[in-house]
Amino acid sequence: MTSFARWAAVARRELSSALRRPSYWFLFGILVLVAWGFSQGNVTISSGDATAGGERSHITSVFAQSMLQSVLITAMGAWFLAIGAGLVLIRDAEHRVGEVLHSTRLTVREYVWGSFAGAVVAFLVIWGLFLGASMGFNHLLATGADSPQIGPFVPGNYLVPAMLLGLPQIVFFAGVPFFLGAWTRRPIVVFAFPVATLLVILGFLISWSPSWLDPAINRALMLADPSGFRWLNETFLKLDRGLDFYNAAPLPPDTGFLLSRIALAGAGLLAVEAAARNTARRLLRGDTDSLVIGFRRGRREAPSAVAQAGPVSSARTLGELAMRTDPPGFLTAAAAIGRVEVRELTVRAGMYLFVPLILYQSVSQALFALGPFDSPLLLTSGAMAARQFNTLSLLVCLLLLFYTVESLMKERAQRFAEIYRTTPVGTGAMLLGKTAGNVVVAAGILAVALIASAAVITVRQVLGDPVGFDLWPFLAAWGGVMVPTFLFWTAFVTAAFALFRNRYAVYGLGLAVLIYTVYRMNVGDALSWVTNWIAWNSMVFWSDMGAFSLDGRALLLNRLLYLSLIPLLLALALKWLGRQEFDATRILHRLRPRAVLRSGVRLLPFAAAPAVLAAVLFFGGRAGDQGPDAEEARKDYWRRNTATWTNFRMPSVSHVDLDVDLEPAARTASVSGAYTFVNHRDHAYPEFPITAGPWDPIAWTLDGEPNEPEDRAGLYVFTPDEPLAPGGSLTVGFEYELQYPRGLSTRVGGRGQFILDSGVVLTAFAPTFAPVPGYLPGIGVDEDNRYDQREFPDDFFEGETEPALGWGGRPFTTKIRITVPEEYTANSVGRLVSDEVRDGRRTVVWESDHPVRLFNIVAGHYAVEEGRGTAIYYHPEHDYNVEEMSAALDAAREHYSDWFHPFPWELLKLSEFPAYAGYAQGFPTNITFSEGIGFLTKSDPRSHAAFAVVAHEAAHQWWANILTPGRGPGGNMLSEGMSHYATILLHEEVHGDRYRIEFAKRIEDSYGDGRFVNSERSLVKTDGSRRGDNTVIYDKGGWVMWMLQQEMGRENLLAGLRAFIDAYHAGSDFPVIQDMLAVLREFAPDPEAFDAFTAQWFFDVVAPEYRLSGVTKQRAGRSWMVRGTVENAGTARMRVEVAATANERWSDVGDAGTRTVVSPSYRDARTPVELGASESAEFEIVTTFDPERVLVDPDVLVLQLRREAAVFDFPE
Amino acid sequence: MLEIRNLVKVYPGPVAALQGVSLEASRGMLGLLGPNGAGKTTLMRIVAGLLEPTSGAVFLDGEDVSGDPRRIRGQLGYLPQHFGFYPHLSGAAMLRFLLVLKGVKAPRGVKRLAAELLERVNLQDAAKRKVGTWSGGMRQRLGIAQALAGNPRIVVVDEPTAGLDPEERLRFYRLLAEVAEDRLVLLSTHIVEDISVLCPRVAILTGGRIVADTTPRGARSRLEGAIFEGAVDKHEMEALADGFEITQAVLIEGRNRVRVHAPDGPPPDGFESVAPSLEDAYLLLTRNGAARDGERPPETPES
Repeated sequence: MTSFARWAAVARRELSSALRRPSYWFLFGILVLVAWGFSQGNVTISSGDATAGGERSHITSVFAQSMLQSVLITAMGAWFLAIGAGLVLIRDAEHRVGEVLHSTRLTVREYVWGSFAGAVVAFLVIWGLFLGASMGFNHLLATGADSPQIGPFVPGNYLVPAMLLGLPQIVFFAGVPFFLGAWTRRPIVVFAFPVATLLVILGFLISWSPSWLDPAINRALMLADPSGFRWLNETFLKLDRGLDFYNAAPLPPDTGFLLSRIALAGAGLLAVEAAARNTARRLLRGDTDSLVIGFRRGRREAPSAVAQAGPVSSARTLGELAMRTDPPGFLTAAAAIGRVEVRELTVRAGMYLFVPLILYQSVSQALFALGPFDSPLLLTSGAMAARQFNTLSLLVCLLLLFYTVESLMKERAQRFAEIYRTTPVGTGAMLLGKTAGNVVVAAGILAVALIASAAVITVRQVLGDPVGFDLWPFLAAWGGVMVPTFLFWTAFVTAAFALFRNRYAVYGLGLAVLIYTVYRMNVGDALSWVTNWIAWNSMVFWSDMGAFSLDGRALLLNRLLYLSLIPLLLALALKWLGRQEFDATRILHRLRPRAVLRSGVRLLPFAAAPAVLAAVLFFGGRAGDQGPDAEEARKDYWRRNTATWTNFRMPSVSHVDLDVDLEPAARTASVSGAYTFVNHRDHAYPEFPITAGPWDPIAWTLDGEPNEPEDRAGLYVFTPDEPLAPGGSLTVGFEYELQYPRGLSTRVGGRGQFILDSGVVLTAFAPTFAPVPGYLPGIGVDEDNRYDQREFPDDFFEGETEPALGWGGRPFTTKIRITVPEEYTANSVGRLVSDEVRDGRRTVVWESDHPVRLFNIVAGHYAVEEGRGTAIYYHPEHDYNVEEMSAALDAAREHYSDWFHPFPWELLKLSEFPAYAGYAQGFPTNITFSEGIGFLTKSDPRSHAAFAVVAHEAAHQWWANILTPGRGPGGNMLSEGMSHYATILLHEEVHGDRYRIEFAKRIEDSYGDGRFVNSERSLVKTDGSRRGDNTVIYDKGGWVMWMLQQEMGRENLLAGLRAFIDAYHAGSDFPVIQDMLAVLREFAPDPEAFDAFTAQWFFDVVAPEYRLSGVTKQRAGRSWMVRGTVENAGTARMRVEVAATANERWSDVGDAGTRTVVSPSYRDARTPVELGASESAEFEIVTTFDPERVLVDPDVLVLQLRREAAVFDFPE
Repeated sequence: MLEIRNLVKVYPGPVAALQGVSLEASRGMLGLLGPNGAGKTTLMRIVAGLLEPTSGAVFLDGEDVSGDPRRIRGQLGYLPQHFGFYPHLSGAAMLRFLLVLKGVKAPRGVKRLAAELLERVNLQDAAKRKVGTWSGGMRQRLGIAQALAGNPRIVVVDEPTAGLDPEERLRFYRLLAEVAEDRLVLLSTHIVEDISVLCPRVAILTGGRIVADTTPRGARSRLEGAIFEGAVDKHEMEALADGFEITQAVLIEGRNRVRVHAPDGPPPDGFESVAPSLEDAYLLLTRNGAARDGERPPETPES
């Protein structure tokens, strides 16, 4: 027999053995279901920021298949390969076949490589069947017009991903566990490998990609990612290239990636060779058992001769020992068992493998968290505890599932069960001891995670972060909320084990519960408070300003519910987990109705508390404002009024007089007030509607007289005795009490507005605290009755256009009295007229010193930082960025007033509110900020969120309040896009070019990542109804204005904008983009160029994408000649500079929020090119220095895609 | 007083492991002898409260302990046929743990007691080593130590000498004899020597039935004058088996040394009358018991 024949015989044996294992066919079953799901369009792939190719991308394209195969092998294949390949040599060692095998002519290398080949080929067989099934489902069963997701059959679309992305992974994920199994002979180490790699790949390599990441590091991560997904995503998917590209283009691997795939497969094969050498060394040593790898404290030793055959003992007789037996105490026995459990668990290798993984995953998730504009976050202890909550809960539950089952199986597995079960210890003590042991281990993991978190915060503090460590949030979030989860989960797993008495059944059930929970909380409808056993996402809305303030009651009831289930589960476990093996023939005897009933009655006391708590949560949620009754009431509002009142144009409100008495601790308010309406139109109003909240009873008055308007499900229709004539006015008064939020919530979630002891945020957008004039078409609309956005004609803006924001009609004046407990500060629009404290209640009066179109109220326990006509109200512990934010607000007020329009109000305020909502809103004079925005971000030159968010929100004073845009396509760009443009300008004005460039790059990246090529419309057509519209409105909108500034000249554009605001800010016609462009054209020095620019950037969808190629440099005496070709692989015709540079451009002196300084050693030389779509041009640049880099658009003046690709670095 | 009444145990299959076993015992050593698959382990596990019988019951001082095994646990020392311990604990820690679970106390404390018990089974030198590093015989001795701990009223030992070397087996015999002086010891084994040495009373179990409940002497006396021994060549064996009931045949120096049972007639030529052994009685009883059933007893899962 030849060597090859022997090798093949071993491989055949392993292949045949592997293919008989159920696990491989279980994998095949899953894969067939996945293939079927894809072919039917039931399963879609998401690539994080964008779905490949939009809604109708072909699942048969090479890109879709690459994503699919890459993800499936990483997420599923790695486990099966680890089991299939990693356990081969361990199993043979356990069966002690090695000595027999190696007594033949079989060499170690033939045996090891043959075994590996068999295991890998078995997986390849399954994978081949999966690809065959995919092709069959896709191209034989799912073709035709009903399957737009299926493209033409191209075998390469399946085989190229299999070879490029699949095969190297398969070899790697088989080879490394194979070696680990051979080396350690420990299954746990083999299992730990896919866990570790999966966590690193999914938790970091695939997901961590801030826009400011250095391209070289990004490239290194792409090549390091075994799944290949990062390369695929960063190179092809992240920036949406459109349907045509994804459906038809080939997948061209670059050389670096090809080499990395070869290296990956090579690493797998090297691991196999290492396994062969290790096995050979073992045989030489005669060591057939295991190698100690550090965790193991004792080596297996031969029994000592003394112990085996010592002299006959001279010990006393048994009687002389005077032993006696008392029944062991419950707690004594439980403690003894618990101690042994802890001891057993802590010597297990798995603990030392999984715990670091858990720590890495949870701590790194918190560390790498990014805030607005990809800025790093300042991690307060609360944020750190909250951000780790989900991951830590899930991973520790996974660990507890494994250890609880193994702990309950342990006596049986170690053949100790018969002795153990005949001891007089009660089963309850046994269960308690085991449960306690496992929970102690879980608590130990929490303690280690706590220490790690404290260390991280402390180290960051030492390195300059202003945030210190605080224990309380960890105790509250982890101790108070997470520990009950672990207790419940351990009891649940114990009861499940008692019922099934089979580890695989319990693993299956436990994993199914965990997967279903994560799916529901992240993809489907969130679990309700009754069913959210793990309190998943309950810490997402953590607030340092008042933890648990929003949903604390529901969370407390939820925790009590699951704690109260523990006795029931343990009672069931006690009942089912008999220490006596039941006689199978007596099952029917046990299932007699009377016996079952008796058991049920005995369990009733245990079920009483959970039943009561579940009922309180369930019915409390139904009675609240998220319950079905409230939802039905909102739907009634829509149903009864949408046909009649949509598009009804209201008379203007001329004055708002409100008296709001707030009781934050009770979440209540007493509200009274009046709206004065003026008919500014040319027709009379016989009736008009006002929308109110569920505030029964509401006492209405009309011109001071009690009135009972028609109640149309919350829309109150007033019919004055005489129609409201043009120019006439009337006053509607009201008085009611409200609670908001009302009742318990139904599930975890934030609120846009709230009255809470931690803070109050109320706006007049919707009837949460004040009636809103007119009918609000958005109320009561959900998935059941959602309708398509209105299609506007091209000339919709001609004539009078309704406002996109605020109440219709003209601006109005306000007088708002707010009463709060003395320790609160309450802010509203306008200026503070009075502030009085009486009987522990503070009453403040805010009056508008200039008309407004909207108003809001914000209140809390604040410290104040006052600036030049500005003030920042903030949580006293969140003072980290306040100075910088105050400077930004001052600068915004000063410069925006110069650039756009004088600021008409006396004071510009910014107030922080708890993170139960995550937005910032720029109401007139009264900006509100969630604590997570700006207050808790960390500034650096790459991302300066504290400054940027303040600059943006402050800009809304001009671009939303002073100039209110019109309702319709393009309207919102005048609010959000203009605010981004103002932010670019303010960055440049205050901090110089470097900060402006970095901010522009951040929003450029946001546009590139967030746009959907096939659904993107021009700026004038974008109305916010499609996926990706937001980035067009905000990011592209801001950028286009910045480019328009280059086109028109800064002063021309600003003069045009001032004229535009002057023209529209006080009228009743609200402008859109076309109106703005009409005004700006008057200020354009070159109207034709202006038209050409606006045609492509406002009325068309274009995006340049520059590429450099053939770049060389040549020394000529004292100068250097740089040559190359620049190509516009995208669209648009733009003039752009190509620069050759040397040395770093920015000096570090400019860091920490000061103005940027150009480094003295920086050099550059530039040449302009103008390129249209798909055009290229050769360029030459003469420099007087040795150039190190060539790049397109060095000053970041032209919006483009994949800017990082338009850079060429000369080799050192 | 332990009373076993008409125990029946049927495993799914169905396999009848016990077919109406009844026994009574109060003090001393009761040996339970039978071939593999006779139902010994099933009987032991039912008595220890680990297995629910299909029918019948076990009474301890008149109380039904098979229905509520908690009643027997505090009074039981049990050594199963196959067992293990937590491998990461040292021998001393493992025994201390078991002493706590059993509620065993001693004037000089549990720690000292554990050390003395380990000394009794000659494990004092290995006490601090992890049980996972011990040999099978050492683990067997630790099992014996825990079974005897706490002066249990009933000691149930299932195949206890398996894995013990001759010296340790003798030591165990002494220990068990000492224990049996003032309590009931149920010893299950298929090794006739164990019964011969230790048990004043033996019950022979085959096919799930008790075929004899006697003393070793009584078993032997029934065969007095009916056992003959002689040597025959290999080719003569078949003819001999046709005419006589062979109880034992041992090959010595190429010839068969054979013992036959000839109660009614003359012995084979060249055979001499010898004193009957317990093994003769056991083999005849089990063979005849099986013959009565018409077939060999089925193999049971626990055997």
